[in-house]
Amino acid sequence: MQTIIEVENVSKSFGQVNAVDDMSFYVTKGSLFSFLGTNGAGKSTVISIILTALQPDSGSVTVNGFTVGKEDEVIRKEIGVVFQESVLDPLLSVQENLEIRAQLYGMAKQDRLAAIQRCADIVDIHSILKRRYGKLSGGQKRRVDIARALLHQPKILLLDEPTTGLDPQSRQQIWKMIGHLQKEHGMTVFLTTHYIEEAANSDFVIVIKEGRIIAKGTPVDLKQQYSADRLFMTTTDHIALRTHFQHDHVQYQEETGGYTIDLPTTIAAIPILTKYQSFISSFEVRKSSLDDVFIRIHDRKGV
Amino acid sequence: MLIFAKRNLLLYFRDKSAVFFSLLAVFILIALYVFFLGDLIADGVPDFPAKHWLLLSWIIAGVITVTSVTTTLGAFSVMVNDQATNAYKDFCVTPIKQSVLLGGYIISSLSIGFLMCIMTLLVANVMLFATGEPLLSFTQLIQSVGVLFLAVLTAGSMISLLVIFFKTSNAFAAASTLIGTLIGFLTGIYIPIGTLPAYLQSMIQFFPISHIAALLRQILMDAPMTEAFAQAPVEMKESFQLNMGVVFKVNGWQISPLVSVMYLLLTTIIFFILSASVMKYARR
Repeated sequence: MQTIIEVENVSKSFGQVNAVDDMSFYVTKGSLFSFLGTNGAGKSTVISIILTALQPDSGSVTVNGFTVGKEDEVIRKEIGVVFQESVLDPLLSVQENLEIRAQLYGMAKQDRLAAIQRCADIVDIHSILKRRYGKLSGGQKRRVDIARALLHQPKILLLDEPTTGLDPQSRQQIWKMIGHLQKEHGMTVFLTTHYIEEAANSDFVIVIKEGRIIAKGTPVDLKQQYSADRLFMTTTDHIALRTHFQHDHVQYQEETGGYTIDLPTTIAAIPILTKYQSFISSFEVRKSSLDDVFIRIHDRKGV
Repeated sequence: MLIFAKRNLLLYFRDKSAVFFSLLAVFILIALYVFFLGDLIADGVPDFPAKHWLLLSWIIAGVITVTSVTTTLGAFSVMVNDQATNAYKDFCVTPIKQSVLLGGYIISSLSIGFLMCIMTLLVANVMLFATGEPLLSFTQLIQSVGVLFLAVLTAGSMISLLVIFFKTSNAFAAASTLIGTLIGFLTGIYIPIGTLPAYLQSMIQFFPISHIAALLRQILMDAPMTEAFAQAPVEMKESFQLNMGVVFKVNGWQISPLVSVMYLLLTTIIFFILSASVMKYARR
């Protein structure tokens, strides 16, 4: 497997704040890579460094073999970016916007028109090419943003929280497009998100907190490593059940209408259920979602 | 650089209300003279031949001077907006150099300012025509356009230093209003310079844009002045010229048009160098 982005021992601080603290990771060519973290975890700083907009204080970053800080112009041609906020000109039409951006990459007229057609095909925006960017819906804007990022045929597509603020349908559409770009066009996709559910389709996930990597692996790995099952039960005789729990030293939490017990494995629910069978009116075993996993990782490795 | 300038121009003229408001200052000024200031100034001087023509030409010269500053300033809003709304971020990820982007902003702003000045010049012609005065001659127009080019260049250089310090559109809009108001006083176009105390007169003469006003007055008022003072002694004409800011006198020396032009060019060069170095320093 070939690596396309390599980050080695990168640190960056702003005054007293260590935004990125001795971070190292790599991204495999053609993979879907997710960078996960809450707001202020340092995601944007890392992205800015990869984009050559910021210089790291120490450490090195290479993109497709080119070094950040030395070969910035080449790197910029290798990466297509979708920013978190809309960055195109709201008063200009989609076509005008795309054409101007294509010009900034030094494309000739024929190439520009071809590129716009090609990108419009991928994200399906032919019907809105003539409309003003500012008048589009959130989902439409996002699609145009992706088209803009693809204009210069980059090898890497970098998306900063691409689905924040979108309705579920648009969100799904965007994910479909991103998946399509990775699989059909062989692009490397690097995205940041704070919804771990969105990282579920990634090949590799890195979770960062306060500028450091606190967990990494495939989504399945992370889930297995950090997930926990919980047994939830309701009862008709609260006092009796509580007394038994206390007598047997069972760790339980009260929840609306019932009690939950953390389980080491799913199977572990059976003896508990058998033991308190007479008190239980209903029960369910809850598998933790990726969101729970994220919160767990985040709390466990808390500084 | 031109590609980027084209985008800025497109963006500026697409916002029709912004274009209107940048010209509004000009319209307000004209209205102010027509309804109020014009009479005030006319009452202050004795009657003489071609009085209306002469004073109207004086007013036009002033209005165009203010336009050259306010519209160029307004055009720089594209740059400030881009910085404030993250649009700039997107340009920074393209292979274009930052100096090229900056050049693009300056070129587009200067073009907009110049275009607006030409429009004001045409409006001035309409005003002359509407009040039954002779239109500007071809030579006058060409000379005025030349001065306006210089005006926009000088104003643009000073503004480009200023805009570096504005990070939000609101702050810039507030500053623009303030400058738009102040500029009329700083260039001595609301009230004849002769009626002001000596220290204010020196201040006005020191301010480079005032020389634009003086140059324009020399061009536009030449014909009416000849007619107005045909029968009058030379001293009377001279004192009128000094009083109305047609010519400046510093320490007894009368500033020739050539000196004014040199002074403006020098200012332009100094301010462009200043902005470039401040920009370089700020980026670090």
